[in-house]
Amino acid sequence: MDKVEVKIIFMVFMFSIAFWGVREATAAGPEFHGFMEFAYGPKVSDDHTKRDDFNLLEQRLQLKTKYLFEGDGFFARKNSSLNFKGDFTVDEYFFGKTDFELRELNLSTTLVDWFDLKAGRQILTWGTGDYLFINDLFPKDYVSFFIGRDDEYLKKPSDALKMSFYPSLANVDFVISTFESNTTAKGDRLSFFDSFQGGIAGVNSDRDLLEPPLQLSNLEYALRTYRNLGSHEAAFYYFRGFDKNPTSYQDEAARQLFYPRLDIYGTSLRGPAASGIGNIEFGYTNSREDSNGNNRLIANSLFKVLTGYEKDLGNDFKIGLQYFYEQTLDYGQYKESLLPTDFVFDESRHLLTQRITKLYKNQTVSITLFNFYSPSNKDGYVRPMVSYHVSDQWKATLGANLPWGEDDLTEFGQMKRNKNVYVRFR
Amino acid sequence: MRTIKMLFAVSLFFLASFSQELSFAQDELSASDIIAKSRLAFYYAGDDMKARVRMELINKNGQKRIRELTMLRKDDQDGGQPSSAEASEGRQKYFMYFYQPADVKDMTFMVTKYTDQDADRWLFIPAIDLVKRIAANDKFSSFVGSDFTYEDVSGRNPAEDTHTFLRNDKLNGKDCFVVESIPKQPSEYAKRISWIDATNFLPLKEEFYDKQNELYRQFEAGEIKEIDGISTIIQRVVKNLKSGHRTEVSFEEIKYNLGIEDDVFSERYLRRPPLQWIK
Repeated sequence: MDKVEVKIIFMVFMFSIAFWGVREATAAGPEFHGFMEFAYGPKVSDDHTKRDDFNLLEQRLQLKTKYLFEGDGFFARKNSSLNFKGDFTVDEYFFGKTDFELRELNLSTTLVDWFDLKAGRQILTWGTGDYLFINDLFPKDYVSFFIGRDDEYLKKPSDALKMSFYPSLANVDFVISTFESNTTAKGDRLSFFDSFQGGIAGVNSDRDLLEPPLQLSNLEYALRTYRNLGSHEAAFYYFRGFDKNPTSYQDEAARQLFYPRLDIYGTSLRGPAASGIGNIEFGYTNSREDSNGNNRLIANSLFKVLTGYEKDLGNDFKIGLQYFYEQTLDYGQYKESLLPTDFVFDESRHLLTQRITKLYKNQTVSITLFNFYSPSNKDGYVRPMVSYHVSDQWKATLGANLPWGEDDLTEFGQMKRNKNVYVRFR
Repeated sequence: MRTIKMLFAVSLFFLASFSQELSFAQDELSASDIIAKSRLAFYYAGDDMKARVRMELINKNGQKRIRELTMLRKDDQDGGQPSSAEASEGRQKYFMYFYQPADVKDMTFMVTKYTDQDADRWLFIPAIDLVKRIAANDKFSSFVGSDFTYEDVSGRNPAEDTHTFLRNDKLNGKDCFVVESIPKQPSEYAKRISWIDATNFLPLKEEFYDKQNELYRQFEAGEIKEIDGISTIIQRVVKNLKSGHRTEVSFEEIKYNLGIEDDVFSERYLRRPPLQWIK
């Protein structure tokens, strides 16, 4: 089937469910909520991106509204709501470019007692990590993360059908979505390690990222089964789709990268431990296009584990610690298949994170320090932040993004020239 | 002589029973019983409850912040007797849906409270579709920045304090028992003094003293209404006397014994608030 055709069919199907609802929604004026925000993030280093002196300067208007069905129509009886959220931005980084991002437009309904449906554009999250994701393959925006936008913008919306089943034994979420890549550094706003350029690159990067075309066989499927065991929560995950990062090479000469197919099998457990909250999560990623690992152009299968602990020390002071381990499987085959000129990536990665949060003045002042540190990669990323709720309507935030690293090709090391300090007012 | 002895004994008997008549109920009720009954009346009224809660957080300069939410509560078991040590005793579930302020609108918060272990707390942040587990071992953390602690919101196990009856008193024309409670383990406060209504056992006033025996926090009940046959405090205020910050709370649209289903208190409804209860 033709790409455009499938796209149209899927969109029409999803949004027709949403608009079937709109028809029932009466003309009662919706109540809009939202905020306006100004954000500025100067930086010091010249890294050959579009601008040397800042990587964040924008104004944003977010509007959201929700329509709860009333009366005795079909959707009212099914406890339904229509949800909308959109962001208008004026981005000075791109010389005042105006943009609109539709973050949510979906219909949420309980069709049967044991079955919920959410159709349309929506934000999706699951898993137990704090800024670390193993079984959550929903799209993320790491550019927003590294320039200091609100955490909300780390998550990108998916165009999806989310079906939730509630039999007595366990709950099941099943999501069908179209492919949406992670937004990662590509040289215009954030410099990064570009293997084609042989080092950290800015606007000189000219990679061609090939997304899987929109067709039925490229839909993604994500499944989560979860239940409570006393105070603990156990979950199993399955994902079938694509890597969200362009990790693999299609055509080296043409500098083409693509998002390889993968399956992920995972599990997690979260609950009280040692008078805090503990969590552990595993994932096995099967790189379907290179499952035995001997194609040097395609990322290998991976094993990942993460464990964390959070404790409330009293007086609005909290501390959270995480350990993350990632191992490339079939590393021998990978090493053997490499060409002498290839960059060599390590077999395993250890990553530690720590989050400290302290609130002051009736929780109007919040100080957070989040720290990534990898002893194996010899890199890290420090994210300090102070925010002050001047009133219910005004909030000022001051923070910094300080990635560092000995090498240029590691996860945070490649970001080291993007250090910034930012302020936000909303 | 014998008759005199008899007469003396009989008169003593009458005197004893007479004085018993005169005294308040504290002769039948120990200080612990009063606190236990008060906890039942205040935190366990009805089998379940729904209320629209409006909190005004006011700093010493008079600046106001607003928190507005719908609260659902369901008791698995009533509070029981303080001496009973059944594990599930007094277990309650709370569900909260926030309307205000704008940055927490549509957030939901769920608590399973136990009397013998830390509560389970979940927070749902809709902007990122995230269900967060909240570490809950500090019961004296401020609830949403107010002067109420988590313990104020969901109650304290009476067995955690040693209670002493101080006196009978009148507060705003109401007969009260005054009870002193001293924590058995080091706690946020060193001493609490409670004025408890002698007829409906609602706490009318509580004073919290620190280690220096200084009054630093005070709870006062405002208007009390009969709702579905249950005496209910619909206005309350907590003042922090050290910072000058205070929180005024009003409960509206209160209803008891609605038959709220158990499954409302689950991740399903945390992610998708139960519209029939929050509309």
